[in-house]
Amino acid sequence: MRRIVAQTRKELTQIVRDWRTLALALILPIVLLLLMSTAISLTVNDLPIVVQDFDDSSASHDFIDAMRASITLHVVSWPVNKTAEQALAANVARAVVMIPAHFGRDIARGINSPVQLLVDASDANTAKLISGYATQITTAYNRQTAGAAQAGPVQTAVRLWYNPGLSSKKFYGPGVFVLGISMFPPLLAALAMAKEGEHKTILQVYVSSISAHEFLLGKIIAFMAVALAECFVMCLLLFTYFGLRFAGDPTPFLIATILYAFCVASFGTMVGATIPNQAASMQAVALGGFLLVFLLSGLMFPIENIPAGLRWISNFIWGRYYIEIVRDALLQGGGWPAVWFKVLIVGVIGTTFYGIAWRGMRKMQVKA
Amino acid sequence: MKRLLQFLFNYRLLALIKKEFNQIRRDRRLAISLILPPVVQLTLFGFALSANVTNIRLGVVDDSRSPESRELIATLTESKSFRLAGYYFSVNELGDAVSRGNVDAGVVVPYDYARDLARDRPTTVQFLLNAMNANTATISRAYAEGVIQSYNSGLRGKGINSRVQTVAGMDLARRGQVQLQPAFLYNPGLVDSWFIVTGVFGLLLILNSSLVSSAAMVREREAGTIEQLLMSPASTSEIIIAKITPLFILLCMMMLVAIAVLKLAFDVPFQGNILFLLLGGALCILSGISIGTVIATFSKSAQQAQLTSFFVNPPLSSLSGALNPVEAMPKWLQPVTVLNPIHHFATIVRGSTLKGSGFMDLWPNFLGLLIFTIILVSLSVWRFRKQLS
Repeated sequence: MRRIVAQTRKELTQIVRDWRTLALALILPIVLLLLMSTAISLTVNDLPIVVQDFDDSSASHDFIDAMRASITLHVVSWPVNKTAEQALAANVARAVVMIPAHFGRDIARGINSPVQLLVDASDANTAKLISGYATQITTAYNRQTAGAAQAGPVQTAVRLWYNPGLSSKKFYGPGVFVLGISMFPPLLAALAMAKEGEHKTILQVYVSSISAHEFLLGKIIAFMAVALAECFVMCLLLFTYFGLRFAGDPTPFLIATILYAFCVASFGTMVGATIPNQAASMQAVALGGFLLVFLLSGLMFPIENIPAGLRWISNFIWGRYYIEIVRDALLQGGGWPAVWFKVLIVGVIGTTFYGIAWRGMRKMQVKA
Repeated sequence: MKRLLQFLFNYRLLALIKKEFNQIRRDRRLAISLILPPVVQLTLFGFALSANVTNIRLGVVDDSRSPESRELIATLTESKSFRLAGYYFSVNELGDAVSRGNVDAGVVVPYDYARDLARDRPTTVQFLLNAMNANTATISRAYAEGVIQSYNSGLRGKGINSRVQTVAGMDLARRGQVQLQPAFLYNPGLVDSWFIVTGVFGLLLILNSSLVSSAAMVREREAGTIEQLLMSPASTSEIIIAKITPLFILLCMMMLVAIAVLKLAFDVPFQGNILFLLLGGALCILSGISIGTVIATFSKSAQQAQLTSFFVNPPLSSLSGALNPVEAMPKWLQPVTVLNPIHHFATIVRGSTLKGSGFMDLWPNFLGLLIFTIILVSLSVWRFRKQLS
């Protein structure tokens, strides 16, 4: 036990000595959380649109005012002598609304009048959002002008659960939180372990009285401490800037966080033990910690959208389960019945990493 | 002019360039890192990142249990957007299923649904959406409302009751309705991956250029051979040009590989002039190389250079609008994207492939990219010189 503590202290001292690693451990996760959570969000506000009004009647002005009044769209001016497509090609607007001549006359006579909406679909998702917003505005406008008699017999009442303000910050914040923990602690752990191999200081470990398990545990506990410190700092940010709260029982989150810290620290140590080269192990962690967790864990887009040929891989991605646990704790509040299985899997994956790291240690001995 | 050519094609410079090429040729890891990333990253990102909203699992509470309510549920679930995940007896049970994540959305049909419809009274159907993911929730809400709307217009034509209403409703005060007809330009099939891969293309060029160049620049210092170069009669600018030229050529080849992947694997249309794409890409590579060089001048080893790049790359890539629309960022961050070469390049790529924009539309982005490249190149040359002397 004393040897484990000594090993942990040695690792922590090494981290504190290099400003790069220290900043990497504590400052970068915060920067990442602030930047990424806003930068990967997909819900848009205040999209520029151009209106071409060929009617110029009071009815068409009313309709344009309805568009203008929404917070999701804002009308930008565009010279009348240029075509609508030019506005889209020049990236001035995301969409163009074209109101035909005789629009006001037709409406007053009780004839339905078409209005064209040209959407720049080079970004397919935003295009869908714009067309959805514009349809909603038009429906509301029709309901208002035509009165209740015109509304359909079946009405919808939509309730948005867990995130009624539709703030994407609240969805991506927990995701990027997991990404930060999946990336930086294993990076430091892999570097520290690979350094032992590269500088051959591992030989000193072998001749000392410390056992392989004690050595590994000492290292892993040090990086778990780093991960938990990061977690604490980022949680502060989640609870203040992101406005999140525990939605239900916080115990699954707390236990899963400790297990996940163990999981990522073991992952880093495993990579460092199997690839005793600092530059190469750093790339391996960047691949596992960043790319896989970023792409295959449902951080940005739902996992169901990944083609089946790639989707099975996500079953093995440790970050996926932790993201689901964190989102459940902070948004859904399902508690133990919803997530006990995921907590278990995080523990199992962590133990597997530990086992491989331990085997890698034995091989390092043969090589050194 | 003649002097410039003389300067560019003297023996010293050619010899130095040849030396760099030889060094690169021997480094197999570098060659792999030039071919593998464009193919793997483009395909992974392109296939794995899809914002498409289909197959939303729908839980149903049908208190009406009538042919009418079953018809409504059938209309909802026969579209590709919703998939029937199960029937529940009460709203509480449905709520539990939503919070456990068994269903993504729920619909509650009231007990007097069929009666209200028959009597032509408006009736309300409740939708519960798991809105954790704001984007998915917004889109599925639009789907649900769209389905109900078309269901309504189908209902209106039916039955004597509504006929009577239509005749009665033909009063002069009735106003016509606005019918919005959306048309999707440039990407009528709404293919998600086109937006992602054209953005990742820019990320790939900048990030790989900076990675490769910082590794190449720092190697000489790590091995301690930089003094030998300094002792040679070559001037510092010659050393820098000789270092950059082979990297630039190789990275341009990587760009061609990436363009081939865009065309072959993702079928991205090339509507505009491909010259814009190549020109923008070349500028992008130059600025990437300069970023790498600046990073290298701040670090003593390859490992340190890589660590330093962790501080540069995430802000550079996340504030670029490569993976998401710039409008989704907070207002105060949006102007920052003007300072990002990836943002300009992504606009150029999308303009010249998907939209077929001409130079008149793209010149501000070219100007921005050019200014950045010049600033970054001069910064890197200045840093490198300072370090050498």
